[in-house]
Amino acid sequence: MNASWREVAACAALAASVMVLSGGVREARAEYGDVVMNNYSDGAGMRPVVFPHWFHRVRFRCKACHTDLGIKFKAGGNEINMLKIIDGQYCGACHNGSVAWSVENCDLCHSAKPGTPTQLHESTINLLGGPGTSAAVTPAASPMTAKPATGGRK
Amino acid sequence: MKHRRFAGGLVLAALLAASAHAQELTKGKLVYQASCAACHTSGLAGAPKLGDIAAWAPRVSAGTGPVYTNAIKGKGAMPPKGGNASLPDADLRAAVDFMLAQVRGEAAPPKPGVSMVPSAQTPVASVATAASAPAAPDPAVQESADPNAFNRLMLAPARRNRPPGEDGIHDPASPATALLQAPLRSFQSLARSNLGNYVDWVAALGKKQIQPRWDVRDPKAQATVMDLNIVREVKGSMHDVVFPHKQHTEWLDCSNCHPAIFTPQKGSNQISMAAIMLGQKCGVCHGKVAFPIQECRLCHARQKSAEARTAEAAGGGKP
Repeated sequence: MNASWREVAACAALAASVMVLSGGVREARAEYGDVVMNNYSDGAGMRPVVFPHWFHRVRFRCKACHTDLGIKFKAGGNEINMLKIIDGQYCGACHNGSVAWSVENCDLCHSAKPGTPTQLHESTINLLGGPGTSAAVTPAASPMTAKPATGGRK
Repeated sequence: MKHRRFAGGLVLAALLAASAHAQELTKGKLVYQASCAACHTSGLAGAPKLGDIAAWAPRVSAGTGPVYTNAIKGKGAMPPKGGNASLPDADLRAAVDFMLAQVRGEAAPPKPGVSMVPSAQTPVASVATAASAPAAPDPAVQESADPNAFNRLMLAPARRNRPPGEDGIHDPASPATALLQAPLRSFQSLARSNLGNYVDWVAALGKKQIQPRWDVRDPKAQATVMDLNIVREVKGSMHDVVFPHKQHTEWLDCSNCHPAIFTPQKGSNQISMAAIMLGQKCGVCHGKVAFPIQECRLCHARQKSAEARTAEAAGGGKP
């Protein structure tokens, strides 16, 4: 019973992935592993944060942030806010003006198009219909990027 | 139309207030569009394409002087001044500067002092975005001319590793976007792969092309590497999975995976591709940051024994 359930789930996932990967139009093509964090940014009138994994893994191994700083393996799951960062937690362990540039460079992190949902860009789950698929990436109610959605296939 | 012109005027006014460098690049862009784009957009007759970092690399490293000279005197199939003999040298230099800026990742440099205020009004914002975007051809047009365009899984090389301003996630209207490092500038010297970031991170680390720090605070701390392969026999005809602790412990601490994701005991973890696709087990990293799950053979690496294959073939038809 358990095995058959799993097979059904696998088939569904494969079917979905084939559909999405072959038919979907992906407008955004940022780097694999880029994390968009939009827990609070839109609500606070800031652009969402883009965390470039590639940039950081050139400089640090996974362990440095995911063990030493206790950052969980979950996009948007760490509830990071500016108070914690200024307090030296999470990003603030390095982005303090001594290791890396400090928090007054707001726009260097808060750099995503307004309305971009929290996501792990180019991740399997996104390709299977997560928040990063094209329909979700071009939000209609975005205040700054009022660009008509191209809608479906070209 | 009138409205757009008015908006364009506003943008021009804003640009005048910005740095002289930005002005030069804007002028260069106009000259480029008028006199150079015919060949340099499509790469006609061997012209290095606008924004093609690889094609421009030798020219960039040789310095701007020779590029100016070539542009003025002509080179290869390119006639002097690109065939527009009436073009003043200064304008030509501006166009060269603009083209070089595209491959140096400083397209339309904003001055930090330029406020974000104009981008709050959408008509102006859309024109400003168009003005600050490089004069590369429309990606949609580019895509349709590409024989690979139908296969959405495979990004054409020109669409890989785009600079932040063109990647669809970063806001090109933000003045800071142009300050962010373009991935290709970092990846050029790294081992390449076919998917993900198109970088083979494990090889890059093994070849010491990158030396990422192990500990946040201690720059000298070294990883505790454990060389232990775990073989997982899988159902069906796929090769068995070889899990190498070595490559994982070069990046990660034991506690990153054990015991929360994997019980540290052989045979006690139920793993399926469905779970991995949904971001569990191996999928906590693979398919997100570590190499994507389309790289089947990197995990399913060991061919089953002859006996196992025979048994599989004999019993394969049974439910």
